[in-house]
Amino acid sequence: MAKILIFPSNSLILSDLVARFGHEPLTLMRVIRKKITEVGIDSPPINVTPEDPKKGLKYAAVDVPSGVRGRMALLDPLIEEAEAAIIVHEADYSFGCMGCARTNELVKYIVRNKDIPRLELAYPTNDDEARVFVRKIRDFCESLTHKAEVLA
Amino acid sequence: MVVLAESSPILPSELALRAYELSTDAVVKETCYGLIVTGSEQAVNETIEELRKLDPSGIFVKDRGFPPGDSRRCRAVRGGGPRPGFHQLEKESAILPSISYGLETIEDPLDVKHQKKRDKLKIDRFIEIIEEQSKEDVNG
Amino acid sequence: MTRKIRIAHLSCGSEYSGIQKEIENAVASVNAELVYPEVDTDTIKDAVSEWGLEVASPDLQLMIARAKSIVDGGFPVDAVFITTCFRCAEGAITRSELRRYIHERANLPVISYSFTERTSAGTLLTRMEALVTTALRRTLLAREKQTGLTAGIDSGSTTTKAVVMRDNEIIGVGWVETTEVLKSAELAYATALKMARVDESEIQALGTTGYGRLLIGEEMKAALVQEELTVNSKGAVYLAEKQKGPATVIDIGGMDNKAISVIDGIPGGFTMGGICAGASGRFLDMTARRLGVDISELGPLASKGDHNRLTMNSYCYVFGTQSLVNALSLGASKEDVASAACYSVAEQVFEQQLQELEIVAPVIMVGGTSLISGLVEAMQDVLRMSVVVPRYSQYIGAVGSALLASGFIE
Repeated sequence: MAKILIFPSNSLILSDLVARFGHEPLTLMRVIRKKITEVGIDSPPINVTPEDPKKGLKYAAVDVPSGVRGRMALLDPLIEEAEAAIIVHEADYSFGCMGCARTNELVKYIVRNKDIPRLELAYPTNDDEARVFVRKIRDFCESLTHKAEVLA
Repeated sequence: MVVLAESSPILPSELALRAYELSTDAVVKETCYGLIVTGSEQAVNETIEELRKLDPSGIFVKDRGFPPGDSRRCRAVRGGGPRPGFHQLEKESAILPSISYGLETIEDPLDVKHQKKRDKLKIDRFIEIIEEQSKEDVNG
Repeated sequence: MTRKIRIAHLSCGSEYSGIQKEIENAVASVNAELVYPEVDTDTIKDAVSEWGLEVASPDLQLMIARAKSIVDGGFPVDAVFITTCFRCAEGAITRSELRRYIHERANLPVISYSFTERTSAGTLLTRMEALVTTALRRTLLAREKQTGLTAGIDSGSTTTKAVVMRDNEIIGVGWVETTEVLKSAELAYATALKMARVDESEIQALGTTGYGRLLIGEEMKAALVQEELTVNSKGAVYLAEKQKGPATVIDIGGMDNKAISVIDGIPGGFTMGGICAGASGRFLDMTARRLGVDISELGPLASKGDHNRLTMNSYCYVFGTQSLVNALSLGASKEDVASAACYSVAEQVFEQQLQELEIVAPVIMVGGTSLISGLVEAMQDVLRMSVVVPRYSQYIGAVGSALLASGFIE
């Protein structure tokens, strides 16, 4: 079972399909849940504190807006753990953690530069495209399973 | 979070009923789009696995960051406006029937013509169209 | 209990910069609450394309859709607070255009701010106070003429100013250095009353502003106690006779600087503070002393000099002083040094503060430093715009207070 970074990281469809095809989706929801249950921090709504943008300096210099660095700090565990990635383009309705275009560009760039298997595709808009979409994700997931078996 | 594709014949109430029957330790809350199942990872996974059997390609599942009704994200407490993930979920829900269809027909052969990208318009044909159009305009 | 003021928060990164709680604390301390306009998912794209600014970030698109929902009257609010990350071009363009759009179309008070992870509730408080004031006291702020016999006291960090006004005329002024807040206020006030030949008991309403406003306001039973952003905006456009439309107010103070963009006499965006005293009136004060001239002579001296003949960078007060001493020891003329000092302060204010603000003509310079002609000339040069310095510009806060206080005469 591989840990697959999905983008948008809060996608229902990607998270479901990855799990359905036998892998672990690395989702933002899990990071948020950890964040909001952290003991001793009370910085609603999501317990991001001014320390997070500082942690984000790992990915971007101080002249990069704090919102980008704070988001990068949230996404950091996902990027670190990722053994594979599925990126879906034209995710225009992703707000909040995925609501900043500059952050999204940076995340995708970093993922593309990681030496991990990657699938990039667009959101389907009709039945035919959805068939191709589902199949591509299944094939990608199967190739990861196959690879794991070979390596084992 | 369990979301039903609009095309699914199952109703949220049926899902909830089935979840109650399972009597795992998970807490179940019925919503307009499906269910929210909360509890230990094992209990939640067991419940989800059973629920999926009702309509394998029509039931979708994702993890959720905040527990249901958490005041830090609650609309009523926080001056309205949905949580950031809501619009994304709504938009994805709209294409769930297509994804469902994709799952149902995953073993069927794909009709290749649908995958073919549309060719760019040839310049000669474009000139023809312009000429046809201008004639129509003059006559019309 | 009075109803809480509803402030719509349009933001794209405050939660992720870890400062949402600071914003909420500032809002709570002025008895207001943040609200988030509802929008349908399907209408977001249409709202953005109708509005016409093609921004890439979904959160900025959501801000636009929410702003439209406010303007269309679908979501009742009393005021709007727009925040985006500092140093984001896309955010800055959206922020400033949304501010203008909401102000013009919905006639609501709007304040915008670009934050960093260091933004604190304290920094935001004056802004929130100004926002709530504009929401609650619209009739008061609409006042364009002073009536009756009123007075205003501006208790600043360096100087305390007082004015007495009668029927839209300034009839008495007082100016003292701030030592003990209350004593300095009493002294400045007494001077102004004496000049106006009026007894304190005759004053129908008093207004106070500046750092010491709360203390003085309570002791002297002021009718109006108001932060300086609102008061200075109002005072500046009143004195410059630019009450309608946009304007930019620049106040280079003894300790901090204020730059306010004003629409119809009401503050919109503004920046306060400054990184170092090298960008404040304090640096010019020191320059004058080093050159052995009175501060009032520094301006005319600077006008005769040429800043291009020497390099001075007052980004830091200490280094600025050092380059000043060096220049003098190398034989630079007093005139050139004075000019370079003025130019350096103007450049620092421009680079550190005015970059965050939309500078729209007329630019009105106020406060004590606006009397230093060399500084005004340097500012015009840096901005490439002409700068208006109205009469009584050094009494800006006191005049604004006296003007607004006349709204309280029964």
